[in-house]
Amino acid sequence: MRQAGIDIGSRAIKLVVRDRGVVVHRTVADTGSDPLAVCRRLLDATAFDTITATGYGRHLFQEHWPEASVISEIKAVAIGAVAAIPQCRTVIDIGGQDSKAIALDGNGRVKKFAMNDRCAAGTGQFLEMMATSLAYTREEFITAATQAEEGRKLSSLCSVFAQTEVVSLIARGTSKETIALGVHQAIASRTLALTRGVPVTPSVVFTGGAAHNSCLVTLIEDAVKHPLHVPDSPQTVAALGCALFRGNPEETGHTPERKVT
Amino acid sequence: MSFKPAPLIDDEFVGQPPTKRSLAHLLTKREQKRNIAGVYCTYAPVELFHAMGIVPATLCSFANGPIELAETVLPANLCPLVKSSYGFIIGDTCPFFGVSDAVVAETTCDGKKKMFELITEHKPLFVMDLPQIPDSPEALDNWTRSIHKLAAFFQKQFGTTVDDERLEAAIKDSNRKTRMLQQVFDYAALRPSVVGWNELYDILFLAQVTTGAELAPTVTRALAELERRKEAGYSRGRADAPRVMVTGCPIAGDAAKVFKLIEEAGGVVVALDECLGMKLYMDEVEEGTGDPWRAIAAKYLKIPCSCMTPNDIRVDKMDAIIQRFKPDAVVDVILHACHAYNVESHKIELHVQEKHGLPFTKIVTDYSDNDAGQIRTRMEALIETC
Repeated sequence: MRQAGIDIGSRAIKLVVRDRGVVVHRTVADTGSDPLAVCRRLLDATAFDTITATGYGRHLFQEHWPEASVISEIKAVAIGAVAAIPQCRTVIDIGGQDSKAIALDGNGRVKKFAMNDRCAAGTGQFLEMMATSLAYTREEFITAATQAEEGRKLSSLCSVFAQTEVVSLIARGTSKETIALGVHQAIASRTLALTRGVPVTPSVVFTGGAAHNSCLVTLIEDAVKHPLHVPDSPQTVAALGCALFRGNPEETGHTPERKVT
Repeated sequence: MSFKPAPLIDDEFVGQPPTKRSLAHLLTKREQKRNIAGVYCTYAPVELFHAMGIVPATLCSFANGPIELAETVLPANLCPLVKSSYGFIIGDTCPFFGVSDAVVAETTCDGKKKMFELITEHKPLFVMDLPQIPDSPEALDNWTRSIHKLAAFFQKQFGTTVDDERLEAAIKDSNRKTRMLQQVFDYAALRPSVVGWNELYDILFLAQVTTGAELAPTVTRALAELERRKEAGYSRGRADAPRVMVTGCPIAGDAAKVFKLIEEAGGVVVALDECLGMKLYMDEVEEGTGDPWRAIAAKYLKIPCSCMTPNDIRVDKMDAIIQRFKPDAVVDVILHACHAYNVESHKIELHVQEKHGLPFTKIVTDYSDNDAGQIRTRMEALIETC
């Protein structure tokens, strides 16, 4: 029995396939402008018996793969994080356009969650935009932030205002490293604010694409005052959660066929 | 199951926005040469309107369309309700404004107050000075005085007068309306609920423009249908669907996307703790006090708008709503840039979680549909935690 989980995120699509309790397949691809084509390509490369989808494209996916179950990212990340790190009681997830803090009970059930407001402030997309403003690749951006002696914390996390601020800091001669660290510090503060919405209990697991960023890991650890456990493949945790999901789709509350009378 | 629910109001407006029915009612009144006064807010004391033979018309403020035009004058970072209201007026696209002979406004929030200053040239406008510290001893005196001033404005505009007797009669009629609507709300309090938020809106929008006597036949028929549903074991959504209470800013029109997304996520909206919903009909006006003006003022000062400080009455009323409608989750809907409701949300969250142990989510949104994906994710996750 091969169970697939697919996470159609705003920036990346992640696929995980399990066979008899073992992950046998794991792929990550850019979402691009045609997520269904990317899904098709990823799924053609492997075999599966059941599939569960999450992420922003989950309902679109289900329209084209009607056999798929659908669960929210919060549930998917919770299941995946507990599977990756069984002692997990809190998840911090920073993805492309959402960041979330999730508190779990001892059985891995979601007790409470907090998410960012609608805008992408403090998410992976924000980091990418700031790296671009500084003419850095992703890796250079992280290295620069790590090498900075001090940070110049951005006063706004609104991407547009932040970009203006970066431009004016550069114009004032502030070093790119200082700004790079400042961007990371701003995200760490934002993440701390987000975690205030839920009880933070160890172990704290950090997932999502942003968990690859070692500078961010250190800064968030300092901010929330708990060590962060980063799973081996933090970006695919929600897809893993989907591949582990066994529930009846009804119990997720999602009833796409139901017409509201 | 062969049972099919019938529309609660079975007329030519079935399936259309509830505003169509209210507008048709107003146009009938217009033909009868009745005076019509537009209102923007639940604080407008409609008992006085009816006592003076004036029909209240709730003005347009819930569509995204006119916002683009409004932003040619107003800042983008302003409440969508204020921007939409203004866009409707300068674009002359609100038929309710069109049929109104005058407009009654209240000093609720800053955005509205300053917007009202920009529309004075379009219609005769009366701004009621709403006290914002409802517990202070002079608040009731001042608000009573404002209602007297509104009567003077109406008299000047329309030449009609009012006395205590007619005001007392209007209070009785208004209380009758409140009691009828409370009977309808009882069917949302049932477990499972047999009535949908949109069906409540059909009745509530008609209630905005009608007297109790005018509304009564409609409600009688609706109650019969609701009883039929109850006896047939009908449920709105799945019988075990998590029950959701919605609180916060006024919600209708394009903001009603939140209600739809809650239902699509598998929840059922059972309590509408907001100004277009049940809020106005939670209290009756005290009858036979000898001072009907003051009695009306007292009722309206109990409306728990976040413009009031402190707004403790909101949590007191919320306790009663939670006890009666038994929600499994609470969603606080904040319109973008509504600082008062947004700041107050923190208190509401603590109260809902600590006193009632209910899951709580705040949604900050506007009238566009570009955040439907984000809201859907949050609503699905909220329903999953129920």
